[in-house]
Amino acid sequence: MRLHRMTFILVPLLVALLVFGVLNYKLGDVSPPKARSIAFVLKTSNARSDFWQAVSAGAQAAAKESEAGLTVEGPLQDMDADAQIRMIQEAADRKPDALIVAPVHDPRFNDILHDIRARGIKLVVVDTPLALDAPPYYVANNHMEAGRQAGRTAVEATKGKLSAAIISDFPNSGVQSERERGVKDALDAHADEYDETFYAGNSEDNAYAYTRSLLLRSPGINTIIALSEPAVLGAAKALKELDLAGKVKLIGFDSSVYEIKLLEEGVLHATIVQKPFNMGYLSVKTALALVDGKRTDQTTYIDSVVVTKSNMYTPENQKLLFPFIQK
Amino acid sequence: MKHRKSFAPLLPFKSIQSSISFAFSCLILVSITITSLASYQLAVYSAERNSEGYIEEIMKQVNTNIQSYVDNMENISLLAMTSKDVNYYISSNNFISNEDRRAYEKRISDLFQAILYTRKDIASLMVFGYNGRVVSDRRITSLNPYAVLTDQAWYRNAKTAGGKSVLSAPHVQNMIQNEYRWVVSLSRELKNSDGITGEGIFLVDLNLSVITDLCSQINLGKKGYMFIVDNDGNIVYHPKQQLIYSNLRTEQIDRVKEAASGTVFSVNDKEGKRSYTVQDTNFGWKIVGVAYANDLISNKGDIRQTFLLYASAGLIVSLLLSIAISHRLSRPIRTLQRDMKAVERGNFDTQTTVREQNEIGQLGHTFNMMVGQIKRLMQEIIHTQENKRKSELQLLQSQINPHFLYNTLDSIVWMAEQKQHEQVVLMTSALAKLFRASIAKDTELVSIRVDAEHITNYLLIQKMRYESQLEYQIDFDRAIFPYKTLKILLQPFVENAIYHGLRNKPDKGTVTVRGYESNGNIVFEVEDDGLGMTEEQLERIWKPAPVAADEVLTISPKGIGIHNVDERIKLYFGNEYGVRIHSELDVGTCVTITIPKVK
Repeated sequence: MRLHRMTFILVPLLVALLVFGVLNYKLGDVSPPKARSIAFVLKTSNARSDFWQAVSAGAQAAAKESEAGLTVEGPLQDMDADAQIRMIQEAADRKPDALIVAPVHDPRFNDILHDIRARGIKLVVVDTPLALDAPPYYVANNHMEAGRQAGRTAVEATKGKLSAAIISDFPNSGVQSERERGVKDALDAHADEYDETFYAGNSEDNAYAYTRSLLLRSPGINTIIALSEPAVLGAAKALKELDLAGKVKLIGFDSSVYEIKLLEEGVLHATIVQKPFNMGYLSVKTALALVDGKRTDQTTYIDSVVVTKSNMYTPENQKLLFPFIQK
Repeated sequence: MKHRKSFAPLLPFKSIQSSISFAFSCLILVSITITSLASYQLAVYSAERNSEGYIEEIMKQVNTNIQSYVDNMENISLLAMTSKDVNYYISSNNFISNEDRRAYEKRISDLFQAILYTRKDIASLMVFGYNGRVVSDRRITSLNPYAVLTDQAWYRNAKTAGGKSVLSAPHVQNMIQNEYRWVVSLSRELKNSDGITGEGIFLVDLNLSVITDLCSQINLGKKGYMFIVDNDGNIVYHPKQQLIYSNLRTEQIDRVKEAASGTVFSVNDKEGKRSYTVQDTNFGWKIVGVAYANDLISNKGDIRQTFLLYASAGLIVSLLLSIAISHRLSRPIRTLQRDMKAVERGNFDTQTTVREQNEIGQLGHTFNMMVGQIKRLMQEIIHTQENKRKSELQLLQSQINPHFLYNTLDSIVWMAEQKQHEQVVLMTSALAKLFRASIAKDTELVSIRVDAEHITNYLLIQKMRYESQLEYQIDFDRAIFPYKTLKILLQPFVENAIYHGLRNKPDKGTVTVRGYESNGNIVFEVEDDGLGMTEEQLERIWKPAPVAADEVLTISPKGIGIHNVDERIKLYFGNEYGVRIHSELDVGTCVTITIPKVK
């Protein structure tokens, strides 16, 4: 009798368990994924920086799509390493699942980011390559490939008869040295001549003066590849003055209203434009994949687009050149 | 037991309570599960329908809003069209001198500015005459020298549309120097007074931010979003436009293009299950709301949890109830079962208590009646059996051993031949008394005096027959004479003593019959000093009398069975009374008969 009493209580319970199991299985997909939190520290949160605003927009799009919590912040001033380090440490203290950093160039970051990883926070580094002991997950524009694109564009524009000069800012600036290597890579492939790289030090005036003297000195130069916006503007100014606009192919990087106008004027032959929105989007996606323990590439490269006067108003490129809608 | 076995496969329980509980539980479980599932599905379904309707409503609202912007642009364009100044200024055959131009331009520009002043969503108003004249809402219109008018989509499309207004896709308007604004352009060709020849293009630019703000404010759940495509499937607005251009995301633009207005279709891929609500506008755009299934019913988990909770609570309560109910239902059955067991053990006084008026109550009633009936029948049987036995015994005792009669008669004859008259008289009268005593049938019980006389006569006869071989002694306490005893109680014992104890004894034997009161009972003793008996012989005596009817009725040569006499005493007086025999081989036998004092 004892046993039977147990049985008739146990059997319905078992059946009930089974039914609930089936119910849970059948409806299991409705349970929302657990909330994941991600902190994103930009190089700058300045509203005037279209690039970083687009990164932020992309990150927010990814967070909304994945239903993850996201905080985006950054120092008001670009290159403000102290403010950024403070922000990174504050963000890490909030114990997010993942931290995404677009670090300003500063030697202190190695230790700081190492410490953050030691605290179990997944780390994704964006935009600027960092030489950490253990390589972090890295989402960045493929600057080298962008350089190759610039090189190839130059080759096409001059129909192979290339005589090029390169204007950069600093010899050891992470982004620009990669662009430089890419450009040289593409030009080497065609075994064409190019002048040695001039470092204008982030100064429009230096670039202008160099271009002017270079063009006066060696009229054979038919291509100038400027690796930063100041370099482009300086070179363009010299070209316009010497009335060489369009004759000497100026190939630049990034986009600004000034560069756009130069494109329209035909002074700037082409500019290699990054996709900051995609960078923000993919960096959040990478961070989420790390949090979920999924396999993901160590390095995610984002391609760039060559924008010329003829394609600058296509729907895709308009979005890249004018990422934001001014009221 | 056999019946239960046949039920075994259906419900493997030994008690009704278990079976009822189990059956109830299963029923309850199944019904609760089914109802919960059904109502859950219904709740989810209706929630989904509701939110679909809600999304459609939002899409309609967005449509209406955008429509009103477009309508406004159209109205403004009509205003320009009907303006005489505008028409005359761009007319190919006007006579406006370069000096007068400024005045015209100012008037037109003032009109445009007035319009613009009331409409913050309009970015710019411009007229491009085919005669090369351009007027805008600005005082001084400096056009972007590098923007080629005929390259502009809005310009070309308006020209080919022939007077109808044309709405462009969003684009960056670069016509004005140093201005790069995201706008949606409405353009139309202005006609000459003949209504056929085109004179110029009128352009209204709507700030795209008006539309993007409208769209980005629409909240369709956590992940849901809306987008707009134009007739050709070009994206007008999409929150992830750049990702789509970079092929990082895909959008269901082909299906949207085919979908009619007001239709809803759902897509389930690795992005998740979501539904697309498509709404057509009358200027060629399609407004699409995308809502994720998980988002639509954001509380789907809550709904399920609630259902599970209620179902579990209901289940537990009803399981407990089912156990309680089955316990209550089966309790009278268990009581009945217990009482039946008591009857099984032989207690026919059992009566089950009946509380219920239902079938089980009736069963109890019937059981009580049945037990009563059985009890009555059994008593009847005992009664008749007793009567039968008594009558049999009466019959037995009425019989006198015929040999005894023949022998006695032989003895009388022999004595008569010897002319021993006195002896003959004595014996004959004793025989006569003996017969009279045994024939007197009317009562079973006689006074001890009568039985004492009877045994005296009997022993007298036997003494005359066996003469010197037999001595006897009768010793009755005269005080017990008034008490009753069974008729002819002692004769079989005396007969046995003579025939088995003394007859084969070589020398003279003595029979002693005693009667006295002891411990409130009356005790008779029949003692002989004859052969005595072995243990086996004693045992044989106690064996019941032969059962066969003919043997009962005929007297066996061995005389009436001691056992029968003992039984007769017990029947009459009770089990504590009866016969005891003490016997020793070659010493003698003593029979002790105990009966109660009965007046």
